Amino acid sequence: MAKFVLMLHHAPDRYTNLGEAEFMDLMKDYNGWVEEMSAKGKFEGGEKLLDEGGKIVTNKSGSVEVHDGPFAEVAEILGGYMVINAADYDEAVEIARSHPHMKHNETILIRQTDASADE
Amino acid sequence: MTATTDIHALLEETIRRERGWLISSLVSRLGPGKVDLAEDVAQDAIVKALATWPYKGIPDNPRAWLRRVAGNTAIDRIRRSARELGIDDDWDLATSDEDVITPSLSDPELDLMVLCCDPALSPQDQLFLALKTVSGFTAAETAALFFLKEDALSQRLARAKRQLRKQSGDLARYPTRFALKDRLPRLLKVIYLMFAWGYLPRRGDVVFRDDLCREAIRLSEGLLAQTDGETAGHHALHALLLFQAARLPARATEDNTLVPLEQQNRADWDKAMIADAFAQMEAAQSSPDLTRYHLEAGIASIHAQSTTWEATDWGSIARLYTLLDRHAPSLAVSVNRAVSLIYAGERAQATDILDGLKDHRGAAEFPGYHLAVAKLAQANGDPDTAKDALSRASACQVSTPIADHIARQADLIEAGA
Repeated sequence: MAKFVLMLHHAPDRYTNLGEAEFMDLMKDYNGWVEEMSAKGKFEGGEKLLDEGGKIVTNKSGSVEVHDGPFAEVAEILGGYMVINAADYDEAVEIARSHPHMKHNETILIRQTDASADE
Repeated sequence: MTATTDIHALLEETIRRERGWLISSLVSRLGPGKVDLAEDVAQDAIVKALATWPYKGIPDNPRAWLRRVAGNTAIDRIRRSARELGIDDDWDLATSDEDVITPSLSDPELDLMVLCCDPALSPQDQLFLALKTVSGFTAAETAALFFLKEDALSQRLARAKRQLRKQSGDLARYPTRFALKDRLPRLLKVIYLMFAWGYLPRRGDVVFRDDLCREAIRLSEGLLAQTDGETAGHHALHALLLFQAARLPARATEDNTLVPLEQQNRADWDKAMIADAFAQMEAAQSSPDLTRYHLEAGIASIHAQSTTWEATDWGSIARLYTLLDRHAPSLAVSVNRAVSLIYAGERAQATDILDGLKDHRGAAEFPGYHLAVAKLAQANGDPDTAKDALSRASACQVSTPIADHIARQADLIEAGA
């Protein structure tokens, strides 16, 4: 079983003006999905990222520069990532399709982890 | 029910329980004047927990986890305002892991319940307040349960909370010790109302609200455990709730069609719950007073022990309704008494009662009255009067399944059945 990382993107202002009841309903969808995937052994874990803040550290020809977020010009920001188990990209895509993120937001980026160094 | 709706229902119930528990614990520390703050803190914490679960996965023990995270958030919020409130900030909300699973009421929950049942508030407002705090329903959910606009409900709740703020001294700190005895009958009334709303919603598209019925039973059970059932009528009330709840599985089809008692598959009744109800009836015998709950439980017990509709002892039911009508007279009781008399074959008496109610304030808007008139007319072989009464019944405020039920009866008469 291979591991895939689902990167969940959302519009920067997606949750700022959302009513609390609506937000809770939405989160119930997410939690329900995670529970279902965990029961099937598909869900591995993940991390939620804070919407506010963020830094960029760059190396510009030898001198390291640090810039603060947020990055107003971007269309979507990374809200968090989840690691799932899937046989291949086809199954990973199927799992992503069923994700409530596809109902409530627009984008999931999928990348397979390189397992060659795993035991 | 699909797996996903199952998870949703479980999540909703867990959240509601935790919210109620958190609000109660917070109020017990902050005092009855800080219900608003307690609600805000509890809600913040729950939202925070819900937002992180999808990424971390739902923990093995969601309740303990939620309680810990919520507790930490609560403490954070309280610390910030601890100085202005003048309270000690080194208390730990997450210590009481031992009551994670028990269905019984914790002391703070019982305390808050007692506070909610303030005699200065109407029973309806006591009920709203209890649902919103002890039972953990959100304002939106509570408003939806009673088909109120959310701001109308919020206004009533704000008024109720202002009343709670007036509590002071020992009552504010140890409500149960000082007020429980006086207020227990009110607590029972609130539980009774909660169950009644769940059993027969007056609007909406479900036959009954399982969550409300179960919450009423939970509160009653917790209260029994805490008070040894010494209040007059408490065992009887509990028996009544169990008898009624035991029949719920047979009372609606999957698609929310009402199945009247007459057509219910009695094999679907919850036998274990009925046995528990009879045990409660037994315990109710030692009550110092006869209450309306004794009589209502008595009526429910006759249905519970009837193996078929035809075997129902309507004579006994009619006699109990006659007693109930004397003990706690109301329009609904009189109407039910008339119905039981029709089934007992005492049509003349039933006619007298229903004729006497004709000019009763409220009878015109009470669907049960028109349904009883229709039943009597049918028994008398008078389909025109029956049809007329059914159309009046359908003009009343009823839920969709009840409206459909009335329509089906009208169709049956039309078809000459």
